[in-house]
Amino acid sequence: MKNRFAWFFVPAWLLLLAGCAGVATQPSTTPAPSGAQLPGEGAIIEPVPKSAMSGNKAVIALLDRAQTDNASGQREAAGASLERALRIEPRNPWLWLELAQVRLNQGQYAQAITLARKSNSFAGHQLRVQAENWQVIGKARVAQGDSAGAEQAFKLSAELAQQAKAEVDRGFIFNFQ
Amino acid sequence: MKLPSSLSNRFHFNFKLPGKTVRMIALLLLLGLSGYIYYLDVTIREAFEGRKFALPARVYGRALEVYPGLKLTREQFVEEFKSIGYHESPQPDDAATYKNTLNGIEFTTRDFVFGDGPQPLQHLRIEFADGKVSLLQLRGSNDADLPLLRMEPPLIGGIYPGHNEDRELVRISQVPKPLIDALIATEDRKFHTHWGIDPRGIARALYKTVTGQRIEGGSTLTQQLVKNFFLTSERTLTRKANEVLMALLLEMHYSKDEILETYLNEIFLGQDASRAIHGFGLGSYFYFDRPLDRLEPQQIATLVGMVKGPSVYDPRKHPELALKRRNVVLQVMVSQNVITQAQFLAARQKPLGVVQRAPAGTSPYPAFLQFVHRQLERDYREEDLRSEGLRIFTTLDPFVQHQAEKALASRLTAIERARKFAANTLEGAVVVSSTQNGEIQAMVGGRDARYAGYNRAIDAQRPIGSLAKPIVYLTALEDPQRYTLITPLDDSALVWSQPGTTDWKPQNYDHQFHGQVQLRTALALSFNVSTARLGIELGVEHILDKLPLYGIEQRPPPFASSLLGAFGLSPVEVAQLYQTFADGGFRTPLRAIRAIVTADGKPLQRYPLNVEPVAPPAPVYLLTAALQGVVREGTAQSLSNWLPAEMNVAGKTGTTDDLRDSWFAGYTGDRVAVVWVGFDDNKPTGLTGASGAMTVWGEMMKNIQPEPLEPAMPEEIEMVNVDPVSGLRYDEGCKAGVLLPFIKGSAPADKSPCGASSAEASGKAEAKPELKQDTKKKNWFQRLFD
Repeated sequence: MKNRFAWFFVPAWLLLLAGCAGVATQPSTTPAPSGAQLPGEGAIIEPVPKSAMSGNKAVIALLDRAQTDNASGQREAAGASLERALRIEPRNPWLWLELAQVRLNQGQYAQAITLARKSNSFAGHQLRVQAENWQVIGKARVAQGDSAGAEQAFKLSAELAQQAKAEVDRGFIFNFQ
Repeated sequence: MKLPSSLSNRFHFNFKLPGKTVRMIALLLLLGLSGYIYYLDVTIREAFEGRKFALPARVYGRALEVYPGLKLTREQFVEEFKSIGYHESPQPDDAATYKNTLNGIEFTTRDFVFGDGPQPLQHLRIEFADGKVSLLQLRGSNDADLPLLRMEPPLIGGIYPGHNEDRELVRISQVPKPLIDALIATEDRKFHTHWGIDPRGIARALYKTVTGQRIEGGSTLTQQLVKNFFLTSERTLTRKANEVLMALLLEMHYSKDEILETYLNEIFLGQDASRAIHGFGLGSYFYFDRPLDRLEPQQIATLVGMVKGPSVYDPRKHPELALKRRNVVLQVMVSQNVITQAQFLAARQKPLGVVQRAPAGTSPYPAFLQFVHRQLERDYREEDLRSEGLRIFTTLDPFVQHQAEKALASRLTAIERARKFAANTLEGAVVVSSTQNGEIQAMVGGRDARYAGYNRAIDAQRPIGSLAKPIVYLTALEDPQRYTLITPLDDSALVWSQPGTTDWKPQNYDHQFHGQVQLRTALALSFNVSTARLGIELGVEHILDKLPLYGIEQRPPPFASSLLGAFGLSPVEVAQLYQTFADGGFRTPLRAIRAIVTADGKPLQRYPLNVEPVAPPAPVYLLTAALQGVVREGTAQSLSNWLPAEMNVAGKTGTTDDLRDSWFAGYTGDRVAVVWVGFDDNKPTGLTGASGAMTVWGEMMKNIQPEPLEPAMPEEIEMVNVDPVSGLRYDEGCKAGVLLPFIKGSAPADKSPCGASSAEASGKAEAKPELKQDTKKKNWFQRLFD
């Protein structure tokens, strides 16, 4: 009870850290639920600082709380925090991606794929979030036993990640939303 | 059950009478008495155990999330305070108090247990600028910025145990000692020593009854509790005898503290319309709008005084009697040293201090609550809902709800006046949901929004008319090789013959046929004949097969007339249908409940967001563009009286035969809303969708201030500049055309030289279809209607 509010300050602190030292916080990546390694799976996607995911500190606070809950297995709570964040920014693709990852961890593969697609529908030209969405779709397909579909998804994810990296290398300035 | 024997021991009769018969009779009597006492024992224990935990389910609206940058004015925030029972105070450091400052408000929240855990009391400061929250801080020795604050949600109703009893359960440890002492001092001074009855009191009561004076009490707290369990106005000796026996039985089974605790929660303290106020916990809120532990001595005395006669000493109805009685109790309190002489003198001087408007009991939002209740009934047993003290967190947004109620009531009144209808005869219903997560933010079941009766939003099944057309057009647009927004449709006379039915000859609203019309125009002007032809071409069954995908469970008859909406849906079903269009082809089941938590704060159930892709995004994007055309240049043009063009609202009017039903369904960037207007007896209203329901929709949305609609453009979509009349392609740079979305590969290939068209193109419309009509055929009259 007494530490209930500590989490409010965590994102602010993280932001500071990310901003000053250029150290990005790692978005929660999820291990493939099962199956053999497929080409493109687990392609390295440059982590995105939270400040690039949203310009709203309230959203970042909720995202942070959701990631902590997700990492500690509190999937329901993580989902609830993400839904709160989505009420504030309903068209933020990172939040939809995060929710897709929570559902993937919960074993709700069809839902994970739908949410990743929904994230993509709001992604515009944000290649990194698209790359991560295709990772989620790939992993969900692996779990569903669709290895051909998974392979396709991972391949697409890897391509998008590469393009994203190229853009970063060219000094592309990342914009959220 | 060990009781009968122990009881017969207690009632140990030892007759020394001769004769077998007499002994037999005595034995039978004894058995009979034991049996009767056993029956009373079972009854009273059931009542005691049952009532102890009979807690209504509490239903909360959405919790307001406050953060810097949120669109929120000081006035709106103060409204929120009112809905969650905050008080203005010069020193806003107590829970649920606030104070207006120069730029904002200082306030203190309450402890509150949410679906995801407890949130402690906080001292805060908020400031506003330009209609937004500009600062949010924790007040303290060092003020600290807060990224996000979740306010306590407003209580919007309860699901009460039988007889609509409501209570706020308190533990005896939470009850202030002066209240207990005052109660015992006033009602039953020997409570801690007697066995449940006061023989002298009974003797006195008996004497008065026998001598023909009035029948009166002399009841202990235990007896009063028994009486409360079986509330009847009957006053007979039999009942009194039962009461005495049951009081004795209760004292045998339970400790004094258990009895007192149950008493404190059970005692009847007033009536709020159909809701019965039970217990001091709720009484304290009901009369003073504060928890028990914050009651002042004179308030304690008022409540304790009411025990003697809750209606006679009702401080709202009979303030003078209540004040007299309060002062009697204060006198008792000081004489029994419950309060000091100084406290007594101070308390006597104070007014009753009752809050005038009691906190809402039965819900102020009966239509929404009914919807919540129905959703709950699918998952929970009715008795659990009424007794387990569940806390139900819902999606209702009081601000949106009030705008919906206000708009419906004021527009219906205005329409009645303008059309000389009898007052209060026209009815309506409204449903508002949030676009991306399907949460129902408002539901109005009739123009009298407080009336908990017929809920038109969920129970009125009325023909939807042209609201069905988008289903036909979406089906067409899903085949981009055959249909685009500019595909010409045939709007010439049609006869539809089907074995077993009479021939169907659909008419347009203006009783004319319009020859070849572009697809987007046919939808914008809601032409019936071309839509029917299109639907028949696509296959009636094929189209109707899609309804379950969009969340419509019922199956309309397989006739072409169904394509023009000759089947009934409720407003909430229509909202579900349009939700999918608004959300880019993702269907999200409409939700009214977010989470359910047990009485002690454990999460019981969540109703998570669930999304299903049911229509490909690109055709849905085209449909939305066409529905924006309905508002920009079609039957819903006059919506511009309420909302600026930049809102880019997508919507559809619906009017049924003989103008019996007036509908409008539409969406903005953040909300989907459906309005129905009509008479309950199905008489014609003379209203079209545009002249009735749409005006309610516009008025409501104007006040809600929605986000503009900017649907995300799917990858498969390209914008192409076309000649609005010939449908030929223009060069991108040509200023004469209109920019329309096409699924890649479906845009016209043939080019027209720039400026060659006969169209009076007036600059380019951006990313939205612009409708250029064959102006000869359309006049203002036709444009008004579908």
